[in-house]
Amino acid sequence: MLIAGQNMDNSEISQHYSQQFNADLEEIRTNVLSMGGLVEQQLGKAIDSLRLSEGVKAEEVVANDYKVNAFDVDIDERCTKILALRQPTASDLRLVLTVIKTTADLERIGDEAKRVARMALRNGTSDTGSNLYLRIEHLGEQVREMLHRALDSFARMDVEEAIAVAHEDRKIDREYESIMRQSMTYMMEDPRSIPLLMDIIWSARALERVGDRCCNICEYVIYFVKGKDVRHTSLEQIQKEFGE
Amino acid sequence: MRNSWVEEFWQLVFVILLGTVLGLLVGHLWPALTAFLLAYTIGNLYKLQRLIHWLNDPAGGEIPVHFGTWGTIYARIARMRSGHHQRERRLNQLLGEFQASAAALPDATVALGEDGEIRWFNKAAKDLLKLRSPEDLGQPLVNLFRAPELTQYLAKGDFTGPLDISAPGETQRKLSIRVTKYGSGERLLLAQDITDRIMAEQVRRDFVGNVSHELRTPLTVISGFIENMQLARDEIPVNWEKPVELVAQQTTRMRSIVDDLLLLTRLESSGIGEPSAHIDMAALIETIAAEGRLLAGPELPIKVEIRSQSCLAGDAGLLRSAFTNLLVNAIQYTPDEGHITLVWDGSVRGCVFSVQDTGEGIPAEHLPRLTERFYRADAGRSRERGGTGLGLAIVKQILQQHEARLEIESKVGRGSRFSCIFPQERCLAHEQ
Repeated sequence: MLIAGQNMDNSEISQHYSQQFNADLEEIRTNVLSMGGLVEQQLGKAIDSLRLSEGVKAEEVVANDYKVNAFDVDIDERCTKILALRQPTASDLRLVLTVIKTTADLERIGDEAKRVARMALRNGTSDTGSNLYLRIEHLGEQVREMLHRALDSFARMDVEEAIAVAHEDRKIDREYESIMRQSMTYMMEDPRSIPLLMDIIWSARALERVGDRCCNICEYVIYFVKGKDVRHTSLEQIQKEFGE
Repeated sequence: MRNSWVEEFWQLVFVILLGTVLGLLVGHLWPALTAFLLAYTIGNLYKLQRLIHWLNDPAGGEIPVHFGTWGTIYARIARMRSGHHQRERRLNQLLGEFQASAAALPDATVALGEDGEIRWFNKAAKDLLKLRSPEDLGQPLVNLFRAPELTQYLAKGDFTGPLDISAPGETQRKLSIRVTKYGSGERLLLAQDITDRIMAEQVRRDFVGNVSHELRTPLTVISGFIENMQLARDEIPVNWEKPVELVAQQTTRMRSIVDDLLLLTRLESSGIGEPSAHIDMAALIETIAAEGRLLAGPELPIKVEIRSQSCLAGDAGLLRSAFTNLLVNAIQYTPDEGHITLVWDGSVRGCVFSVQDTGEGIPAEHLPRLTERFYRADAGRSRERGGTGLGLAIVKQILQQHEARLEIESKVGRGSRFSCIFPQERCLAHEQ
């Protein structure tokens, strides 16, 4: 009788341990997604501030960047603790690695949003580049959607969606190139517009980088689910291997 | 019941009799009897084992024994089992019907577990919140609907007011979110598409703003000429002097109405302001009171009671005009023998600025509508005193911007008290 009782206690403790571990892992995942939500909001506001020349929103983006950084530091610390205390293996280890990499990328996306907002603040309303602002707005909408879908695929750990999102990056690259070409034409026509156009090019560049970082997040999702590192692999190869 | 006992009894008697007879025939009575009783006990043990086996089988199956006490036990358990199944079926049917009706709700409905995980959601939630069934069940809602405002709203746990935010992935679509707690820590989240309503409100606000703005230019021209006419008094005929003066008065009034409307429109579109500056309330109230004394004259004393040392976070200019507005109202409606008291008080539920007068008071039926635009408790008289009818609406709007509310208590003939109640978060300890 006594032995049976002891056994039961032991199993309860081990169950409690693994439950706590699971809760910890679930918590960092939710934290990453909260951070993602904040970054999404920051990027959205930055793009809005380009379009509507809303100085208030741009200022908010610049002022709130510290929140993104705080998330980054906090999640990194939690991950370090889990690595040190639990020594996770297999999919648990992959989750922790995925989380660490994803937060790094999200933090960079936050920085890019801040850059775009600064650009919007500096220029305010100006007519010369209005057509380009329209183009950049379109690029912005695409990037915003891409980030949203990338985070959705992270939340659902959905490989198919991740591959589809990674495909979107091609479109964004094309859009970026066409903005570059158009800006160069404008510059040749009217050298006085160069300072403004430089800012537009930098904003477009920042948005294009956000697209790349979304791709990275999708690659981490594939790494977590399939256990295979697909960085620096061509999209076609990834699709051949995992897509249906 | 008794039957089975009788059967059991006769069975035992039969075993004993058989044992006795056989024992007597063989010549070893006691060993034979013992052997028979032992066999009887083993038989019962075997049946007991079969009962456990039968109970372990969830499908139940045929009842193995029909005879004696065992038969009764089997029959009763079987009856209980079938009753249980029936209840389960009925409950399942009820649950199905309930879920079907909830699924047909026009608002997106999501049932959340204790840790905020999605337990169930309806069809509208699939469209509005982009949730997928079944793979999203068990996932925390905030993982998919990642707006920081929602995460904060759910974490705070104060669901008195709705939360208006953009739908996930669609910035143009606005949702109004309401949450109700039920059970032990479970929550029900309802999201309603309010894009149309917000658009309509925006159109109305823009309309009022545009009309006021358009009215301003002609009014400026009219009042300019009227002022000229008043200056060149000797050039106008005597019997036109009075009308010109009236026109001048009414133009001024109309201008203040238009200005107030524009201010209201601006306040409405600016939303809740972040607590920016710390306002030293004691100093602010003293300034307002000093201005009030100039307006009221020596017959109407204005007292100031500072009972709390806390500061207020907010826009000093706006709050000052709101407080002045309340004081001017009090001065206008209080006869000379009375007095007015300005109070600044702090309590657990927040801090309160109130203006108390000994004026004529407002009948109770007018109180709830007092802050509506152009609402007048006593139309003729208030217009005589030169109000625009927008003062309290502006006060209310300014307070809303500071997350505060206006409470009005009044007794006819005794006086009124207008209190601005600010939430605890906006009351700050005095900085030394």
